[in-house]
Amino acid sequence: MATTITKLDTLVGRKIKRKEDPRLITGTATYVDDIQMPGMYHACIVRSPHAAAHIRGIETKAALELPGVVAVYTGADVKDVGPVPCGASLPGLRVPHHHILAQDRVYYVGHPVAVVVARDRYIARDAVDLIEVDFDPTDAVADPEKALAEGAPAVHPQWPDNIAFNYHQENGEVDKVFAEAEVVVKQRITSQRLIPCSMETRGVVADYRSGEKALTIYSSSQIPHLMRSLVAGMLGIPENKLRVVAPEVGGGFGCKLNVYAEEALMGFIAIRTGKPVKWIESRREHMQATIHGRGHVDYYEIAARRDGVITGIKLKLIQDLGSYHQLLTPVIPTLSVLMMPGLYRCKTVRADIVGVFTNCVPTDAYRGAGRPEATHGIERMVDILAAELKMDPVEIRLKNFIHSDEFPYATGTGLMYDSGDYTKPLKTALEMANYNELRAEQTKARAAGRYMGIGLSTYGEICAIGPSPATPAGGWESATVRVEPSGTVTVLTGIKPQGQGEETTFSQIAADELGVGFDDVVVMHGDTSVVQYGIGTFGSRATAIGGTAMYLAIQELKTKIKRFGAMLLDSDDVSYANGRCTCNKSGKSVSLAEIAGAAHRAMKLPANTEPGLVASNFWEPPNFTFPFGAHIVVTEIDKDTGAIEIRRYIAVDDCGKVINPLIVAGQVQGGVVQGLGQALYEHGIYDDSGQLLTGEFMDYAIPKASMSPNIEMASTETPTPVNPLRVKGVGEAATIGCSPAVVNSVVDALSPLGVRHLDMPLTSEKIWKVLQGGRA
Amino acid sequence: MKIHGSHALPAGAARAYNLLQDPEVLASCMPGCEKLVKVADGTYEMKMKMVLAAVSGQFDGKVRITDPDPPHSFKLVVEGTGRIGFMKGEGLLRITPGGEQCTVQYDGDVHVGGTIAAVGQRLIDSTSKLMIKRFFDKLCERAAAASAP
Amino acid sequence: MIAQNFDYLTPVSLAEAFDLLNDPGAKVMAGGMSLIPMMKLRLAAPERVVDLRHVPGLNKIQQDGAMLRIGAMTTHHELESTPLVRAACPLLAQAAAAIGDVQVRNVGTIGGSIAHADPSADYPAALQALEAEIRIAHRGGERTVLAKDFFQDTFTTALEPNELIVEISVPLEAKCTGASYQKMLQPASGFAIVGIAARVSMDGGKVSMVRVGVTGLGGSSYRAANVEALLVGSEGSAADIGKAAAVVAEGIDANSDIHASAEYRAHLARVYTARALSAAIARAEAQ
Ligand SMILES: Cc1cc2nc3c(=O)[nH]c(=O)nc-3n(C[C@H](O)[C@H](O)[C@H](O)COP(=O)(O)OP(=O)(O)OC[C@H]3O[C@@H](n4cnc5c(N)ncnc54)[C@H](O)[C@@H]3O)c2cc1C
Repeated sequence: MATTITKLDTLVGRKIKRKEDPRLITGTATYVDDIQMPGMYHACIVRSPHAAAHIRGIETKAALELPGVVAVYTGADVKDVGPVPCGASLPGLRVPHHHILAQDRVYYVGHPVAVVVARDRYIARDAVDLIEVDFDPTDAVADPEKALAEGAPAVHPQWPDNIAFNYHQENGEVDKVFAEAEVVVKQRITSQRLIPCSMETRGVVADYRSGEKALTIYSSSQIPHLMRSLVAGMLGIPENKLRVVAPEVGGGFGCKLNVYAEEALMGFIAIRTGKPVKWIESRREHMQATIHGRGHVDYYEIAARRDGVITGIKLKLIQDLGSYHQLLTPVIPTLSVLMMPGLYRCKTVRADIVGVFTNCVPTDAYRGAGRPEATHGIERMVDILAAELKMDPVEIRLKNFIHSDEFPYATGTGLMYDSGDYTKPLKTALEMANYNELRAEQTKARAAGRYMGIGLSTYGEICAIGPSPATPAGGWESATVRVEPSGTVTVLTGIKPQGQGEETTFSQIAADELGVGFDDVVVMHGDTSVVQYGIGTFGSRATAIGGTAMYLAIQELKTKIKRFGAMLLDSDDVSYANGRCTCNKSGKSVSLAEIAGAAHRAMKLPANTEPGLVASNFWEPPNFTFPFGAHIVVTEIDKDTGAIEIRRYIAVDDCGKVINPLIVAGQVQGGVVQGLGQALYEHGIYDDSGQLLTGEFMDYAIPKASMSPNIEMASTETPTPVNPLRVKGVGEAATIGCSPAVVNSVVDALSPLGVRHLDMPLTSEKIWKVLQGGRA
Repeated sequence: MKIHGSHALPAGAARAYNLLQDPEVLASCMPGCEKLVKVADGTYEMKMKMVLAAVSGQFDGKVRITDPDPPHSFKLVVEGTGRIGFMKGEGLLRITPGGEQCTVQYDGDVHVGGTIAAVGQRLIDSTSKLMIKRFFDKLCERAAAASAP
Repeated sequence: MIAQNFDYLTPVSLAEAFDLLNDPGAKVMAGGMSLIPMMKLRLAAPERVVDLRHVPGLNKIQQDGAMLRIGAMTTHHELESTPLVRAACPLLAQAAAAIGDVQVRNVGTIGGSIAHADPSADYPAALQALEAEIRIAHRGGERTVLAKDFFQDTFTTALEPNELIVEISVPLEAKCTGASYQKMLQPASGFAIVGIAARVSMDGGKVSMVRVGVTGLGGSSYRAANVEALLVGSEGSAADIGKAAAVVAEGIDANSDIHASAEYRAHLARVYTARALSAAIARAEAQ
């Protein structure tokens, strides 16, 4: 059971166990795969084993003859459905038509080619093996730099250069600054392809009522409302005849911030067959056919003065897009450009992105989406500059930080940083680490021939995404708050949690504001026919924007509560606190339940007041928020094997006001471990022919609990002026801060060998090769 | 994936060369080969069943012999497609004479796709080596048997 | 992921198991930790799965004179946690504890692991170093095969079709003998990139017996006789160990994959051989 806390306590700021956990831990939550419907069909998808091939023909006869098979659909059947939407609108962007099933060609391993519909899942899967697709494989290209080379195979024949877009952004006199620079450091830095591995894979159930002409789609999604608008368009049905329900979502990390072919495909099948249909993605499909993250090759140049002050930043960013644009594919690298200067004052910047098609599954948002890449880049470059100038990495950062009295701060990339005190988390982290002693220990270790490294990152982040002008589909969020006749509180929020715990944090805020018990608040989300239109959960936005919408709705509601209270108390001077409306003169009071009862019975109404207690708010944020923090990592390298030991991990995050320290700690812990995954283990590897070599957990290494270090955590709190809750966001922060801190630490350990940079993942073999003298 | 290696055969270079071109010999030596039919000069159609540990898979494929330079070298291309994936091996075989004996050297590339590529990375190298070893072991037997009086 | 249709059969005696297995479409299952993943991926599609779990007597652990007899169906967890095994054959307990994760260890069995003969499995190294005897039954008889003859190549063992492993016997650890299993694990699967099992007896300050088993490096596990020959009779100093460990990969065609190149594997084999030998010697001397 959830903790019951009496309403006399303030809940915001306290460690409160999550409401969501009992059902998650006991396996009683309802995920898409738990949905059962009478007569439901099951779908299984035939996918391409080739990265590039023409489809000469598809033989479906044997599959259709299998008892229990209802239908097989191929590209020809669905050529008018779709296309799969791309939400980006960059100038000159080339957008390939993305059919929901391949037409005459396939473009990546995992590309859906046909779908079998059968009476049960087993028959559907068996029938997939009976479909013969006559492929004529052609040359493929899986590496973005190779795709840019002269004579590379064209992913889309109509664009032989494989370039989807070029994007340029510049501020200040870049050429002059570089020409006059006292030092310039350059480095190629990659951020490898990663495979988002949510515990729950994708899954869709579609149910069509032909009488009402109404379609319901259940999907494991972070954005049910956006999905409703887009899938209705794909299927050509009115938006208000489509209901999308995202039930319990078992993790997303960005891979469910999308609209996929399969969602429209199941809608198509349900309409066509008149029966509900379910599709549950297998882990293998998930790894090869959902989206991947990262996929950067970055060429950085930093200009600086000899005293360490950074004067200019140049970046050429090659983004591996994969074969198509999913919802936000081309947008992600533009976020990297915005974040390019990190926490530093340098305003002279130039960035050029080239978005490249490859015969791989599309890349898109993955925890941090564009910001980890940028932070990794700038934090590596600052260390490289420090090494060049023989400066301490702490000193060079302090020298370049934007000062706490300079906020709001306009960056050279067009952002307005809201608030910050960057030295605060850094100082806290340095104290926790005992930095000076660590350096002394390192000196001794080096003298003894050991490779010990101390690395830090001071990261910033763009959170609370975001103001509508900066977001493809609206950046506001919505809430409706109702006080039910019994006095309990229902919150309908437009966000869609996938494990972040907003049912808990929103309950804390609502309980405090309305003076009711934590358990008296129910937070509902994810059903477009229950909740007013909303945007969703991604970009560390849910509490900062969705929480604010709820907070503002509650303020409006409180006015109405007081009007009813005043009427019941027959007073014109009342106040509302701790769930009671009190007459300031007589001291008499009525409870919220009494007020709610009166408001719903409506025997009598205050002047100019409607019955009921409900208020809605659609909140448009004036800006992003910009959390920050400092991570310090101590590593030691096994000289014989190259294995990296994380001796200590210190994470100090400043995410503005903390609503629930337990949840912040959970986000930081998970974020760090995910960052370690990128830094040390994970890599979605395609071979030259476009085969995905890491298509299973036997080969794709996500860190397990036994591989995770103890994380020493602390928070500093620098509130944001952007929203009344003063919160910034913490969902992605630790992932962003982690990878550069780890790599900086390992590079520091190996710096006596002249090592200046290493690309992720830092496998033992890679380090061993460095120790052997072969520079990586 | 690159493959290379060498095996000794108890046969002179010319006979080794001929054995390696003989569809009947190839069929009996290729692990799991169930059928090999000549469809054109130097081109054969093949049916093969791979059984290894718990894995079993049927492959339909082609074997092609190109760039013949008897008795020194030729190129061997083996392609197979089945439900569990597809593979393509391409290699140059070079025969170095040594009297009664000879050494067959191979140098090539193996490409694997489909399920086996996505889930069997860890095992493709050792499995290809095993298959090649089985092939040459059988070939040795054939060479020895044929040369026995 | 969904397997192809199959019949699931649960014999309650070995004789019944042999009857059921006398069918080309049948496959025996122990813990299913190797078989079921293959079936889910449809790399394996047996028509009948014959589960050995209900055959009595296959998971006994018994001391029999100087030998420890372990039933084929003994799980990895039982081997790592049974006091008798930990005391009498710590090497085996150590190898068992190094396998995969808790879930796999709770279900996977020693018989299944060695029958499968994955080139990176952990037990084979230990069984090579222990010179284990593997008792194999078939309808109407049995035979015993030594570990060195049992493991033949990648996924290839001395097992004939319709034979079952019923027991594995290892010697009780003698006085003044120490053993150690050391492994570099592959971060995705937990399998060994290389794993080295070493057993050393010390007598009068000299190495009187040494056995080294290697897994993960080549197509199959093996006993590194060349290492043993260099070390036996020496004092087992760091220098002696280094010299001996240096030859462990000689003549072996090392595996190469996305997780480790052949060169790195060979290097790791040398490093881990030295580590396993040092640990084994230290334990032998501590007795
Ligand atoms: C996630 C994961 C991680 C793993 N990590 C490791 C690791 O780090 N190290 C390691 O060594 N292993 C690892 N394994 C493999 C694991 O140890 C398996 O348990 C073992 O390989 C097979 O044992 P089993 O009892 O599950 O056999 P099963 O899967 O039931 O059978 C395997 C094969 O052996 C045959 N067989 C089973 N029993 C017998 C018998 N008595 N006689 C004849 N044939 C028989 C079966 O027919 C089948 O072909 C891992 C497995 C998984 C799923």
